[in-house]
Parts: sequence; structure tokens; C-alpha cells
Amino acid sequence: MSTAGFNSQNGTGTGQTYTNGPSQNPVALQQPSGVGYSVNHQPAYNQMQAKVLAPPGPALYPSGPYQPVPPGPQVGSYPPAPAQPLLPRPQIGILPSHTPPQSASPSPGPRPAQATPPAQATPPPPAVTSTSYYTGPPAWQYAAPRGPAPNHVNPAAAAPPLMSHSSTQPPGPGAPPTSIHGFTQPGSAPPPMNPLPPHTYQPNRPAYGPPPTMKPTAPPAGPPGTTGTPPPPKADDVAGNGPQAPNSYNHVDNRMAGAAPPGRHLGHYPSLPPGYQNTSAPPPSSLHPALQAATQPYTQGPQPYQQQPGGPGPGPGPGAGPAQLSPSMAAMSLQSSTPEALRVVNLLQERNLLPPAPVPAPTPCLTQDLQKLNCSPEVFRCTLTSIPQTQSVLNKAKLPLGLLLHPFKDLSQLPVVTSSTIVRCRSCRTYINPFVSFLDQRRWKCNLCYRVNDVPEEFMYNPVSRSYGEPHKRPEVQNATIEFIAPSEYMLRPPQPAVYLFVLDVSHNAVETGYLSVFCQSLLDNISALPGDSRTKVGFITFDSTIHFYNLQEGLSQPQMLIVSDIEDIFLPTPDSLLVNLNECKELVQDLLKSLPNLFEKTMETQSALGSALQAAFKLLSPTGGRMSVFQTQLPNLGVGALQSREDPNQRASAKDVQHLSPATDFYKKLALDCSGQQVAVDLFLLSAQYCDLATLGCISRYSAGSVYYYPSYHHQHNPAQVERFQRDLKRYLTRKIGFEAVMRIRCTKGLSIHTFHGNFFVRSTDLLSLPNVNPDAGFAVQMSIEENLDDMQVVSFQAALLYTSSKGERRIRVHTMCLPVVSSLSDVFAGADVQAITGLLACMAVDRSVTSSLSDARDAMTNAAIDSLSSYRQSALTIQQPGLLAPACLRLFPLYILALLKQKAFRTGTSTRLDERVFAMYQLKYQPLAFAMLMIHPALYRLDDLSDEGALNIGEQTIPQPRVLQLSVEKLSREGAFLLDAGLVMYLWIGRNCHQNFLSQVLGVSSYAAVPEKLYLLPELDTAESQRTRAFVSWLRDQRPFFPSLHIIRDESQLKPHFLQNMIEDRTESALSYYEFLLHLQQQISK
Amino acid sequence: MIFLTVIARLADGLPLAASIQEDEQLGRDLQHYQSQAKQLLRKLDAQSPDRCMLEAGNVNFCYFISQGVCCLCLCDASFPKKMAFGYLEDLHNEFCEQYGKRVPTVTRPYSFIEFDTYIQKTKKSYIDSRARRNLSSVSTELQDVQRIMVANIEEVLQRGEALSALDTKASNLRSQAEKYRSDARFLNTRSTYAKVAAVVLVFVTVIIYVRFWWL
Repeated sequence: MSTAGFNSQNGTGTGQTYTNGPSQNPVALQQPSGVGYSVNHQPAYNQMQAKVLAPPGPALYPSGPYQPVPPGPQVGSYPPAPAQPLLPRPQIGILPSHTPPQSASPSPGPRPAQATPPAQATPPPPAVTSTSYYTGPPAWQYAAPRGPAPNHVNPAAAAPPLMSHSSTQPPGPGAPPTSIHGFTQPGSAPPPMNPLPPHTYQPNRPAYGPPPTMKPTAPPAGPPGTTGTPPPPKADDVAGNGPQAPNSYNHVDNRMAGAAPPGRHLGHYPSLPPGYQNTSAPPPSSLHPALQAATQPYTQGPQPYQQQPGGPGPGPGPGAGPAQLSPSMAAMSLQSSTPEALRVVNLLQERNLLPPAPVPAPTPCLTQDLQKLNCSPEVFRCTLTSIPQTQSVLNKAKLPLGLLLHPFKDLSQLPVVTSSTIVRCRSCRTYINPFVSFLDQRRWKCNLCYRVNDVPEEFMYNPVSRSYGEPHKRPEVQNATIEFIAPSEYMLRPPQPAVYLFVLDVSHNAVETGYLSVFCQSLLDNISALPGDSRTKVGFITFDSTIHFYNLQEGLSQPQMLIVSDIEDIFLPTPDSLLVNLNECKELVQDLLKSLPNLFEKTMETQSALGSALQAAFKLLSPTGGRMSVFQTQLPNLGVGALQSREDPNQRASAKDVQHLSPATDFYKKLALDCSGQQVAVDLFLLSAQYCDLATLGCISRYSAGSVYYYPSYHHQHNPAQVERFQRDLKRYLTRKIGFEAVMRIRCTKGLSIHTFHGNFFVRSTDLLSLPNVNPDAGFAVQMSIEENLDDMQVVSFQAALLYTSSKGERRIRVHTMCLPVVSSLSDVFAGADVQAITGLLACMAVDRSVTSSLSDARDAMTNAAIDSLSSYRQSALTIQQPGLLAPACLRLFPLYILALLKQKAFRTGTSTRLDERVFAMYQLKYQPLAFAMLMIHPALYRLDDLSDEGALNIGEQTIPQPRVLQLSVEKLSREGAFLLDAGLVMYLWIGRNCHQNFLSQVLGVSSYAAVPEKLYLLPELDTAESQRTRAFVSWLRDQRPFFPSLHIIRDESQLKPHFLQNMIEDRTESALSYYEFLLHLQQQISK
Repeated sequence: MIFLTVIARLADGLPLAASIQEDEQLGRDLQHYQSQAKQLLRKLDAQSPDRCMLEAGNVNFCYFISQGVCCLCLCDASFPKKMAFGYLEDLHNEFCEQYGKRVPTVTRPYSFIEFDTYIQKTKKSYIDSRARRNLSSVSTELQDVQRIMVANIEEVLQRGEALSALDTKASNLRSQAEKYRSDARFLNTRSTYAKVAAVVLVFVTVIIYVRFWWL
């Protein structure tokens, strides 16, 4: 049905069909909530439209705007073309759904003002409007609908969006949508829009007595702050954008403007539907101060109303408050007793799926005693917090089973145990842990293999309480994360000293980037903070077409450079004095660092013999092991390991398969394995504007358990943001904790087996990960299968043990143990699903798949993962069948995350992506711990111009505001606001065109929007409350992660705007589906 | 050439500091020698001769025990004995000076691994042939070099094994003897019971006979 309905809508524009969802709210119809979704389309469209002009637009983009379907197929991302057609329309449909909320209030009868209405709501009347919109090619116009909500607030704002849309698209369609915007519309270019919209609107509003009035007022206000009259604003927008339509951005902006109000509302939204109650007051106030002032009297009254409408529109019911949900639940007549995780969510109807704060890890369903002891989810996470009893149940659930680990995470509290014997199971070598059972005082039963072991005499004494005879009170049995000081049996050789070797590219290209001085300065600053003891050694090698060694032996008056030009058969000129004791030769090292940047200032050597330099470095380090930090700025083109450029810049945006994701030569991999055998890890810093074949070079780090840092377009003058990032990253890199000659083994209860590992390491023997270096920022993932039925087990356990040598020469073992319940029913398995962990694991699997098979294959696999799990949920776990795309509450974000992955740099197609950046993104997905990988997959969007201390965190003396996380859709942006997009490695602070004066002056320290500099990377330190709040928040975000995200403050016209908008993953782009389209695609596949 | 130097606590063989010189010729064997060194350190006790050179193929282990600390090194068979013991004594003096008081209290292996730096420097001065001449005066002062005992590493390591084999056999014998004893006792008791039972039976029979036939 839904599909049909959608199509019809699209094509015919009959609103009726609309009803996607079962639950329709006639009222809802109006709301073009869909707009939000459609937004993306618009941009694409806009461009098209601009050229074409209105109606034709659709034709042009036939596939695109109108029928999402076509586009979808084009993208190819979704293999199943069929679905696509449906998709587009559906979006529209969605919009209605949004509206429904509004309607809901009026005609809530059917459903408690919940989200449900949104989806299908489109009642006839709305239908009309909607149809008009729909007819209009782009659904997004609906976005305009948002306008309505905004209307009160900023009619103008809303209008502009419409305008733009309309302009781009066929006016006709636009008109209807305008209804809401109506007021504004007039101003807007698309005349048709205006007329219609009003009508539609009115109907709706009538329902709400108050609203009508509002509208009138609203329009005036609408001119949104900026302009007095609605039309003018539009004019402006239009002028700027509308007419020119070409700029997709502009459109977006407009929309944004329109959307903005909703955005603010967002917070409220959830509650909105139910509550019209939401007092309008807050929103209005927040919205447009200026306007408000003007319209206040009116607005107030209306506001409530509007808000409601708006609320619904934007946020449609989705999700909002639990309260709402519950009613909906009731309506659905589902088992009322189902746990929250299993609450059925119709994704097509609920739009506000994102919780206001970061998504917490689910808690396993264990007894409190066990859960209290369990390992922190930051360290150890399982994709299914309830382990299925048999492989067949797991197969049915179609969810991946695996673990995500962050074993060497910096911990604030870590119990350390020194004892001459470490108690371990005699058959499986498991370390004693809180989940073993004591049969009596003298015997314990291993929780992994169930062997009964003796408790050694020494273990009977508890050093903490100094009592005897209480083995179960020992710290080993009280802490799931613990560290042992290893006795000498755990050492094959005496603990190695900390050894750091720096291998620096000094070719012409490298000198051009100017990284050398930054590096030398950083090292000079941090040289005393390098982890280590009195044995610490350092060494330096530089290379261009030859290899230069530096003799730093004690007693020399200055460093001596030794040049080896025979790169074919590399040798060490003086093996003894190249790696020197840092404490004894500190002055020489400092001398060298001071002179290095100048030494090669005038070099004209352009070639790079990286392969030979690595071999030399390996020779130097192999007696001791240690860390090799390689800085490279170009494609190595001389000697062993020389590479050819494999990237065709014309293919960057290709929707076809991406080539060259696998290494071009195995030289680097082989060398990495040699390094791994000698306990040498290689960290690669790639600073380059050109293609460097990271896919090949990265192997050197990947198999030697190093890390990869990539600074595209690094230049000391032209790219200050990268320079700052490089500096900060270096500082962290040089001073963070490090573990040498490490190995890690992950054990699990008998019956489970681990079969695939993800991360940077080499797998020595079947389950022993060899980690020449381990650092606190590395994450790992493993996949598991169930080999034997776990019939009579209540719980299973997993244990990760990491044996390493600290920089102080101590051999230590860090042990993490996690315990999870076993369940037999499929619905319990779903209830325990951890959507973030699943996404993280799928991302790792998809990276492997794209290298071994192809990118499109990986994309299909991810889409199928969502389809399979949701359809199996529908078929097996749901007792009551309902229409719509249903998911358990714990998986409600799954499709969103999958879509985010499809749009992630690593996997996207159709958008220009440099091969190196893509490969780097893939490395990050595999290497970053889950918390950071999730940010890279699904960035967080915050509104910054209205930060308040409400709900703020207090850390020390600082107060850190906690703004709500917004959905990644342009509809959430507002021209009056400033929004921070946090995408892990990079942050964008987007300043709306009409941003509050207050924010501009108090936070940015500029007098007007126009005065915001084009390239701004720093928040000025102003002594105002707003500035302090903003800076506190941004630096708090930064402090939480081990890498330094650079901040770009961008204006509307900024060159970086496309990068900013690429992160709006719920919106449609030229080459990718919007969230709603994607849901429809899933739904279609599921119902097949 | 000195390949390996270990300083350990005599009481339990806990290694306190060590230094390794990678050598391509020795290569893989180094692992083997390391484990031998560990075993050796565990076997040494206060009764062991305080200076000894143990031959192990083309390399020699030399150790020097004093003040509860054992210094052990692995060197070429060609490396002069005098030099080796001069080197060990040198290390020992410096080590005891720096860490001597803390030796009995530490529990963590390689607690004084930072001593490695000194070991390496000393080693360099002993290995360097030019520096050797300067040291020659020192080495001549080495007392009683002749007293240094020479043995074979295999013998030393296996001596322990032979003893433990004997020990096992003795304890086997003992347990068997105990078993024999308990078995014998059990048999004794059983036969006693049998005798008593027979007497009782006869007695009862007689009583019954008397009771029914005589009365």
C-alpha cells in the first residue's frame, strides 16, 4: 500500500494515497513534515531546477526529486532498484506524518497525539495541499510546511525556504505547501505556492482556533526578523537564492531558515504532539527574539499553537517523549508488558528517534550483583547483550555477534595486583575473575571451561582486608578490570626499554609543507614528557633520495649526519650511536631538533625512498623493538617499495565501484610483519595534498599495530586548521601511555568461538594478537559464532587479557572480563541488541568486504543487514502484525546508522571523495574505539546560540552546557542560529545568516554577520558568559577524545559549506537517499 | 663478547636487572640460553660456589655470588675468564651500592631494570679491545682466579634433575611401604575377626545344642 500510495502521490499528487502508515492523521497531512526529509532532495533539485525552472524541474530530475525512486537506482547504492520508486514518494508521505502531529492535536482522536499520526496522517484536505506539493516535484517543499511551525516565529524564514524550493521546482506544487508559509510565500517567487498554501493552512488552523490568528500575526513577524514584510524576506532569499536556484546551498539555507524554528522546537517537539501543551512560550522566545518582540502579543497566543503545529510537523511524532510513546503503544495494543527495548516503533511514523543526549550502551539483563561487577561498556561491548542460546537463533535474528574492545583505554581507577602467582584456570588459562564460582574454600570453577581448580594457599589471604580464608573477597574476584604485575614467567626476555625512532621525510615536497618545524618544536616541547625511564632511547632518520642517519653519541659536540646513498642495500653506518639514551644525550638531541628544519630548507630533491628508509629503521630497531614514527608527504617513488599513482581524479565522484582499495604491493605488509616479529610498531603520519596511496602505505601500520594519521592538504601557511590539529595530535601522540611488546588474547566461554578480528595487529597463532605497541587510543573488534548450544548456561563470559611492558619496564597484564546472559527466545535476543556496537561491527565487516570484494558489495551487505534483521524481527518476534516499518526500540536507530554508514566517507559513492580520504576513513572505522567511530559515522549536531546552564555538567570549576543533540537534517538548522556539527575528526560551527547579534558579538567578537572572517578556526577568548559557555562546551567535546578535531567556523557562503552539508545524513543528496526514502526502501524489501 | 647479563636475587632467583646484546650469530639460540640462565639462577643457593664458570658449547656462563646477589653473564668461550669476572665484580659493586638495601624487599621481576644503562656502558668498556689494555691492570689484581670452578652447564642443570628423580623414587618407595603396612594391618584384623567369629559360632552352637537337646 504504502508504496502505491506514495507513487500516486508523487505522480498524481493525490493526497489520499499518502497514507503511508496505517496511522494517518488527516490533520497531519498538512504538515509537510516531510519537508525535513525532502530537504536534501531539494538541494539536488534546486540545482536542477534552477536551471530548468519550476515544474520542469521534476522532469529534469525525474529521477531525482520527484521520484526518489529513480535517483535511488541511479545511485546504485541500493541494489534493489524497485524499492526506490517508492522511496521518493514516501518521503513526502512522511512529511505528512509530521504534520500529523499537528493534526493529531486537532483530530487526535485516532491516535493519541503521537508520532503515529505523522506518517499516514495525510487526510484529504491536507492531501490537497500535499498533493500540490507532491505534484510539485520535490517533496521537500513540504519543508515549507515546516514553515508553518516557523511561521509564527519566522514566517519569512519559512517562506524563503519555500520560495527557494518553489522556485526551483515547479511552482505549482510549491504553492500548496506554502499554505503554511502562505504568508511568506507571497513574497516568495513561486506565486502558485502562496495561494494554495493559505488554503490548506487555514483548514488546518481552523481546527485550532488560535492558530488562525497566529498566522496573521505570524506573517508580519515572518518577515522574520530580518525584514519587516514577509515578501521582502522572500525576495531577499529568492533574490539571492530563489531565482538563482542554482545554488543548492542557498536553498538549503532557506530551508534551514524555515526549518530553524522547528529545530529549536525540537527539544520540545517530542512532547509537542501530545501537548499542544507545550507552551509555545519557550519556543517562540527562543526562536526569534526580534520577531517575538514585534509580535509578542500575538505570538504568544499563537505560539502555542504554532508550536504545536510546527512541532508536529518537524518532529512529528517520532519520538518524542516516552509519554507520547506509551500512549501510542497502548493504541497499538501491543503487549503492554514488553520491556522498553522491545517497544515496537514504526520508523515511518516516528521522526524524532534521536535521544537528546548521546546514546547510552544497553545494560545486560543480569542480576544486580553481577551487573555491578561487570566490565564497563566503554572497554568491552558486545553487539548482543543477550547471547542467543544456539546458532540457529542467532541466524534467525540476522544480527552480527561480536565484541568491541578498547582494552588499553586510559582509566582513572585501575586496581593493580602484585602477587607471585597469578591464579588461572589450569586447562583454559583463564584469569580468575568475578564471574567464577567458588565451590568451597579451596576450589573454584572456571566460568569459561567449567573446570574445577584449586585455590592456591596464597590466594586465601586477602591483602586488602588483611584477612585469611576469604578468597572471594580478593580484588581479582571483585573487579572485572584489573591489572597484574607479571612474574618472570611472563617474560621471554627482560622488559625492553622505551625506544622511539623518528623517520622524517625531508624531500622538497616535505619542506614545502613546513611540517618539519612543527614536528621539531612539538618534540622539543614534549621531550621530557615522553613516556619512559632512564633507559629511554631515541633516534632520527631523515630521507629523500638518500637516507640520512644522525650520530648522537655522548661526547660529540654536535650531531653528526651520516648519509647513505646506497638505497638498494641499506646498512647502518654506526650501529651503536644512532639510537641513544635520551637522558644522557638530551642536549645533542635538542641541538638536532633545532637545526633540522633549517638543514633542508633549500633542498631540491623531490624523490622519496621511503621503502629503504623503513628498512634502515627496521634494522636499527630490531635488536630492541620499539616505536617507529614515520612522517611522509608524498608517494614513495624511489628504490624498494616505490609506488605508482593509482587514483584517477575523474573517478572520485563515480557512482561505480571504487578501485584500488587494496594494496598495490605487499612490500609494506611484509616489512610490517618483520617489524611485528621484532616488536617494532610503525606509526604513519601522512601529510600530503596529493595522492599517497594510503591503501598500500597503511599496511605498514596495520600489521605492526601502529596507527595512521592523515592530514590532507597540510600546509603550514595555507591550512592553519590542519597545523593546529597536527600539533595537538602530536602532543597527545608523544605523551600518551604506551605499552611495548604486547600480546592480547580474547577468551570466551566454551561453545562460543571467535573467528575474525578487526583492528591493527597481526594474528599470531589462531587467537593471539601480536601488538608490538599498544596505545590507549586503539580499538579492536572480533566476530563470534556459536559452535555448541549453550543450553544449560545462564551466563557466558568473555575475557580479554593484554600482556604488555610499560614504558617503565614493568611487565603487566590487564584483564577485562564481561559476563552476559544467555537467552533462548528470539525476542529476548532483539531486546538485548546494542545498536551502536552492531553498527560498529558492521562497519568493520564492511571495510573488509570492500577490500576483498567491492565497495558496492559492502554497501549492499550493510543495507541487507538492516533489511534482514528488521524483517526477521517482523516475522519472528512480533506477535501482532501491523503495517509500517517496525523495529524494536533498541534497534530504532539501526536504519539511521546504516544510512549514515552508506553516506560515510568510507562507503559513499557518487560524491567526490579522494581515494586516500576514503581509505583513511576505513582505517578509522576499524581502528577507533566505538565511541569515536560512532561520531564519525553519525555526527552530532548542537545548537550553540542559545546555550544555557540548564542541565549543565559541572566538572571542577567549569560549567559545561549540554545542548540537545539534533537530527542531522537541514530542517533543524535555522538562519537565526549557530550550529555546531561534531563529526569526530572535524567540527563545523555554522553561523546562520541572521544569527543573533548577541551571539556574533559575545561569542565570535564580530559586529555583524558580514564581519565573520572567511577562515576562522578559533573561538576568540572573550570575557562573556556566552563565550565561556561555548568555549567550555567545545573544549569539553575535544577533551573527551584522544585526537584533536579541528574547528571550522563557517558562514553560509563558505567553501566548506558542502562538507558541512554532507553530514546532514537524513537529507537527500544527488546520489543518496534521504532517511525517509531509505526507510521506504527497507520497508519494500522487507515486505517482499 | 658478552651476550647476556643478568643480576638476580640469590634467595629465589628473582631477576633484578638484565641486559641483552643481540647477536646475529647467536640468533635463535639466545632464547635457549636465556631459559638456561633462568633455570640456573633458580638452582643456585647459598651453598653454591660463589664463583663459577659453566661451559655450554661454544659459550660460557660465568656467575659471581656475593651479598645475596648473583651476577651472571654469558660470554664467548674465547672471552678471557679474568675479564669476565672483573666485569661481574664491577657490576656487582655498583649494583649493591645503588640498590643493595632494597634487594630483599622487592617482589617484581626486573625491578632495577634501569641498571641496564650502567651494564651496557661497563660492557662496552670491557669489550672494547683498546680499553681492555687499560683494564688489564685491574684484572691482574683479581684474586684467586685459579679458584674459579669450572663445570658443565648440563651437569649443573641435570644434577638437580637426578636428585629430584631420586627423590621421587624414594617417595614412591615410601608410599608403597605405607600401603603395604596398612594392607598388612587390615589383613591382620580380618583374620582376627574370622577367628573370633568361628569361636563365637561354635559357642553358640554348643549353647543351642545344650538348650534344645539336653533340656
